Amino acid sequence: MTYLSELFASRELFYNLTMRDVKGKYRRTVLGQLWSLINPLATMLVYTLVFSFIFRARPSVGDPSGLDIYALWLMTGLLPWMFFTRVVTGAMTSVIGSAGLIKKVYFPRMHLPFSVAGSVGYTWAIEMAVLTIALTVFGGMPLIWVPVALFFMLMLTFFALGLGMLLAIGNVYFRDLQHFTTIALQMWMYLTPIIYPLSLVENQAATHGQWILDVYRLNPMERFVSVFRELLYDNRWPDLSDSLVCIAWTVVMFTLGFLVFKRSEKRLAELL
Amino acid sequence: MTQAAVVVDDVSKKFRLYKEKNDSLKTALMRGRRSVHEDFWALNDVSFEVPEGSTFGLVGRNGSGKSTLLKCLAKILYPNSGSITSRGKVASLLEVGSGFHPELSGRENVYLNGSILGMSRKDVAKKFDEIVDFSGVRKFIDQPVKNYSSGMYVRLGFSVAINVDPDVLVVDEILAVGDAAFQAKCKEKFVEFRKAGKTVILVTHSMGNIRDMCDHAAWLDNGSLVQVGDAQSVIKAYTADIDKGDR
Repeated sequence: MTYLSELFASRELFYNLTMRDVKGKYRRTVLGQLWSLINPLATMLVYTLVFSFIFRARPSVGDPSGLDIYALWLMTGLLPWMFFTRVVTGAMTSVIGSAGLIKKVYFPRMHLPFSVAGSVGYTWAIEMAVLTIALTVFGGMPLIWVPVALFFMLMLTFFALGLGMLLAIGNVYFRDLQHFTTIALQMWMYLTPIIYPLSLVENQAATHGQWILDVYRLNPMERFVSVFRELLYDNRWPDLSDSLVCIAWTVVMFTLGFLVFKRSEKRLAELL
Repeated sequence: MTQAAVVVDDVSKKFRLYKEKNDSLKTALMRGRRSVHEDFWALNDVSFEVPEGSTFGLVGRNGSGKSTLLKCLAKILYPNSGSITSRGKVASLLEVGSGFHPELSGRENVYLNGSILGMSRKDVAKKFDEIVDFSGVRKFIDQPVKNYSSGMYVRLGFSVAINVDPDVLVVDEILAVGDAAFQAKCKEKFVEFRKAGKTVILVTHSMGNIRDMCDHAAWLDNGSLVQVGDAQSVIKAYTADIDKGDR
């Protein structure tokens, strides 16, 4: 309990570290914070061109929203995914990246991965806000689902943080981990229905055996993406089992990451 | 005066010296879980008390464990056995300006660094003028710190750290910061500290500094405590030992 209260007492440090990243990132750029929007927009354009125009991937029509726009459908899954990878990789390298600080000053180390989630989350919140506006403009009704979406954004944050903290400690022992994770995350993205709909996998499962879908759906990010799509693109309550699986993964992953990080925290100055 | 600000009780610290370290997956898999290492005891059953309000010097040759002990006091390292208990807030000055973000302005970095060192935003705001005046970089406070000269950089870092206002201040060899004028200011600050009844623990190789500033001292050699007590006698014994070694 004292650990948590110390963490809470130093919450200003969390805020300052977060703002250091937010402010420092786009210093001396002409467009400043706009870059954080240009980046996903560019990705959206490329994916839409390749997968909608060339590959002819069709999104499922939003039920009940009636939306049928690939770019928007893509972004409701892609933005959470991009946030997830940025938190995981950022949190993973945050400890090694601040080695100098850790060796010289005492402060609750957990603020390092936390502040990564803070600064990446700040950008993500802006992206999601813009997406919500775009969805509304094109005829959806995502606004009333924003509170529920916020809840799941929080869940995803803690899920990503848990994994990131776990990898951060692993990375101190084995520096290979960060290179491995980059590759793993790339493969993971294609194993998640972000640029193609889940129905394509369901079709394959129907012809080749149900086990394909069962294995495929073990991926927690599949559940998160589905939940965000149902909330923002379809505008309905997310599937109950999906929601519960998301929450369960979050609790397990965050607890695990938290405990492992807490246990290794005191030895970090020596190990780095 | 009789109360102890810091009690170091039977502290030992072990480091592992790796001959071949498994820090990549490949070596770990090839060699199995075992990596070859040797234990090195940087500190061996060190016990002493630092009286409240004293300025306490740690002396010893290079590699005698002074910095390790200091890092244990600063809660950066944790002893393998024994305990360190301190009364009140402990702040450490092991390196200045660590945690500065080069693209941010001096002002933003003062707030950032202050909070890393455990100050609240309100504390920093209250002491902001004092910090800036002490550092002498007021003219450049809104410039990014990457444009600072290295002297300005450390002076600003030092000014933040010295204004944390702890009950116990742990200092490592950084009295050599800045020019002569700034050093004089630092010494003054330490005197002020002592007058305010605060405890300072410092490591320095300058016997002159220790003689000027400290009233108590401890002498470490090879991780063990040789002598502790009144600064004058500890320094006398230590310098005598060094002279003997030189001959």
